[in-house]
Amino acid sequence: MKQLISLEINGEVHELAVAPQDSLLRVLREDLGLIGTKKGCDSGGCGSCTVNVEGKAVYSCMTYAMSVQDRPIVTIEGVGENGKLDPLQQAFIDAGAVQCGYCTCGTIMAARELLATVSSPDEEQIRHAIAGNLCRCTGYQKIVDAIKLAAANSA
Amino acid sequence: MTNRSVLGNSVPRPDALDKVTGGKQFPVNVVLPGMLHAKLLRSPYPHARIVSIDAGAAEKLPGVKAVLLPQDVPQRKYCPVYFVPTLAPSMVQDMLIMSDTVRYAGQPVAAVAATSAGIAEQALELIEVEYEELPAVFDPDAAMADGAPVIHAGTEKNVAVNPVISFGDVEAAFEKAEHIFEGTYQTQRVHTCYMEPRVCVVDSDVAGNLTVHSSMQHLFGLREKLAFALDMPEGKVKVIKPAYIGGGFGGKLDIGYIEPVAALLSLKTGRPVRIEQTRYEDFISTTRNPIKVYLKTGISKEGRFVARYAESTLDCGAHATHGAEVINVHGMFGILLTYPCPDQHWEGKTVYTNNIIGGGYRGYGSPQGAFAVESQIDEICEELGFDPVEFRLNNSYQQGDPHPFNPAAKLDSYRFQDCLQQAAERIDWSSRKPAGSDQGVRKRGIGLGCQPLWVSGCVGFPDIYEHSGAIVKLNRDGTADLSTATVDLGSGQITTLCMIAAEELGLAADQVRMTYADTDTVPFDAPSHASRVTYSAGNAVKAAAGEAKQRLLEVAGGLLEAGPDDLEVRAGMVCVKGSPDVKIRVADVVERAEAPFVVMTEEGPQPTNLAEKGTIIGLSSMAPPANPSPATVEFVEVEVDTETGQVDVLRVVFAHDLGKLIHPAGAEGQVEGGFQQGMGYALMENLVFDADSGACLSSDFLDYKMPTAVEMPVKIESIFIESDEPTGPFGAKSLSEPCVTVPAPAIANAIYNATGVRVRELPITPEKILTGLGRL
Repeated sequence: MKQLISLEINGEVHELAVAPQDSLLRVLREDLGLIGTKKGCDSGGCGSCTVNVEGKAVYSCMTYAMSVQDRPIVTIEGVGENGKLDPLQQAFIDAGAVQCGYCTCGTIMAARELLATVSSPDEEQIRHAIAGNLCRCTGYQKIVDAIKLAAANSA
Repeated sequence: MTNRSVLGNSVPRPDALDKVTGGKQFPVNVVLPGMLHAKLLRSPYPHARIVSIDAGAAEKLPGVKAVLLPQDVPQRKYCPVYFVPTLAPSMVQDMLIMSDTVRYAGQPVAAVAATSAGIAEQALELIEVEYEELPAVFDPDAAMADGAPVIHAGTEKNVAVNPVISFGDVEAAFEKAEHIFEGTYQTQRVHTCYMEPRVCVVDSDVAGNLTVHSSMQHLFGLREKLAFALDMPEGKVKVIKPAYIGGGFGGKLDIGYIEPVAALLSLKTGRPVRIEQTRYEDFISTTRNPIKVYLKTGISKEGRFVARYAESTLDCGAHATHGAEVINVHGMFGILLTYPCPDQHWEGKTVYTNNIIGGGYRGYGSPQGAFAVESQIDEICEELGFDPVEFRLNNSYQQGDPHPFNPAAKLDSYRFQDCLQQAAERIDWSSRKPAGSDQGVRKRGIGLGCQPLWVSGCVGFPDIYEHSGAIVKLNRDGTADLSTATVDLGSGQITTLCMIAAEELGLAADQVRMTYADTDTVPFDAPSHASRVTYSAGNAVKAAAGEAKQRLLEVAGGLLEAGPDDLEVRAGMVCVKGSPDVKIRVADVVERAEAPFVVMTEEGPQPTNLAEKGTIIGLSSMAPPANPSPATVEFVEVEVDTETGQVDVLRVVFAHDLGKLIHPAGAEGQVEGGFQQGMGYALMENLVFDADSGACLSSDFLDYKMPTAVEMPVKIESIFIESDEPTGPFGAKSLSEPCVTVPAPAIANAIYNATGVRVRELPITPEKILTGLGRL
């Protein structure tokens, strides 16, 4: 049985009819067309679906849409201001951290929480912050480089 | 070789901006009006005959639009592998879209298309299937034993293919050998773990023509296999090229069940049908085949290979698919051709079992071979007191030697020795300590693994497609559009090919754009696989760009009053050689060529030069001239906790002979990502199966452990040894696959150096190390 809820996503409030079992991921991709959030496993194991809820990185596939009412959500589409790329997005391009790109948006969202709380994270902090985001292309080295670069550029 | 202005620079990837802002163009995002969603019902039994299927209740479920059962499916046996003709004699045609016999747990037996994936899933539960269980076998040796269940009628002892290759007289050579070493090396079944699931959307029109979107590595292979399986002309199938896909690594190198099933459901309903696999379905779709290698090596007093004998047993699972070819690549490039040895004998067996099917995976048989060969070299050196670097240097091919795979060609740009020496120096090889000599609980060790000879594509392999094509079209703004059937898996094919076109055309890298393609509009290209794109597709792109440039110079010649041979293009300008001030913008030349033939002037209509009219365009469709071999060396340093058996990889030094480097950051990315896959293979990755049913128990990344950013070493150092490959586009050959092949033996050898424990079975888990240390 669907219920009407409202979700604040990227600063905009959406009225939605969702079923209790609907994941935030499903609602983002299928109901709202926010396809930057990816489904890689649908079981909380890969991190491709990572979004920010109240600034925290969460797996949207493991989050019931109903559970995040009145909690501001940011997806990759809401990152960056005034048409400019977020420093993380630019750094991922500049550091060569993008290969197939399927994990990229989720990893940027995970790194976003880190940079919001630690302005110049060290290697270990970065690697732990993205430990829940699997990448099969890059070996993570250039992703770590990109997050360092973004931190430096935001300082 | 000409000077390079574009190549050799890490220009921004053209696809990166889209990917950091949401990646809209992945096949997983394809949505069409009226689209249905389909799900597959899979057998819980590993070997069974279907007695009956009742789908009546499923068909009545509201929202269900069509059900597909084995009797609705053409019964044409096919080989699903993209890079060979469907009926290639060297392959095995043993697959059906759906059959009345299931041969592994997880094989599809029915499908439902509905208005939502949820309804389709619900409907699957309403389908009643009555199975007659048949005896099953999961071990390849047991499958070859007398009295084993017959998996495919007509095969002898369940052996699908049985290649045997001999050089010289191996028995006589063993008699003369000073030392003989023997060992058996076993690898496991792993998944490529591309991040984007296999997904397709297939639409049909009223005339029965199909349009296909899919996350796959080969447009034309999908068209060929799909048309064959459905028994329809290829001309009725159009495959749309995805702008990029979310990883492949060989895991999307064959037609799945999903494309033909979606096609049939679309033909039944007249609506587009989408199928997206779950991660569990991906795990059981294609895997790297486990191979057991028995390897016996004869060594001379001086430490030279004098005789080699090997037997490889490959578990292909329920269908041969790639296993019919992987075994050959494994035998040749994984074992026989790795180092020169005059007398060798190898026998491969690809064996049917009731396990899940294998598939392509980066390295394609060489990781399984290298684990055996490179581990055994370490054992030989340890036993006989040879230095493993010196031993390999003394046993390697030399630059200029005839190519052992194709003696008509030479190893012109071969730099294996340089790779060994430079990487050994970087890791400080001379400081390596004797095995197990480190004191304390945490012991460090250094090891190396090599892929001394690899490929740049498949020229010379029987039955394998290798030609490529491209179209290069110049625009009036001075940019160029490139279209090819080459799929970018993430490894940077778009970037590389645009850079090659730009270099040839004298444009900047960002002035060439990779654009739309489908099987109707561009020339054939073999798949993105076999480390072939830079070399083979690169040569085709260079040729197409060269043809467009020739036309550009002809038109410009008329304007500059010079012959085309006296002109060159630099930085977007056509200029007279030796007189750089006599020049015209490329954009102006194209504008002129595209302008109306008759222009209106104050004096009235005036004809222009008819000969210069027309789009400036180049087309190529060609096979590459050769198959030059790169060489690869990798050293790793590990630390082993001898109380827990935990292995940390501390340092990695990789050296590769790749011809001319095109995009340094992209090349490093191949090495770093390749190491992650190879390290996972070495230490942790393993699909686990139920002993009774053969069902895959690894269902997602919680059950299947692959390295995260935390387990990975902080720094992977890449050394690229450049040379000018005479047949390559601007001197390039290949890189990708050896990056994945060498880590497992390097890590195994480093673990031995740290602890004195030799593990001959992957993955090298803490339990195996502790067992070797006598602690378990």
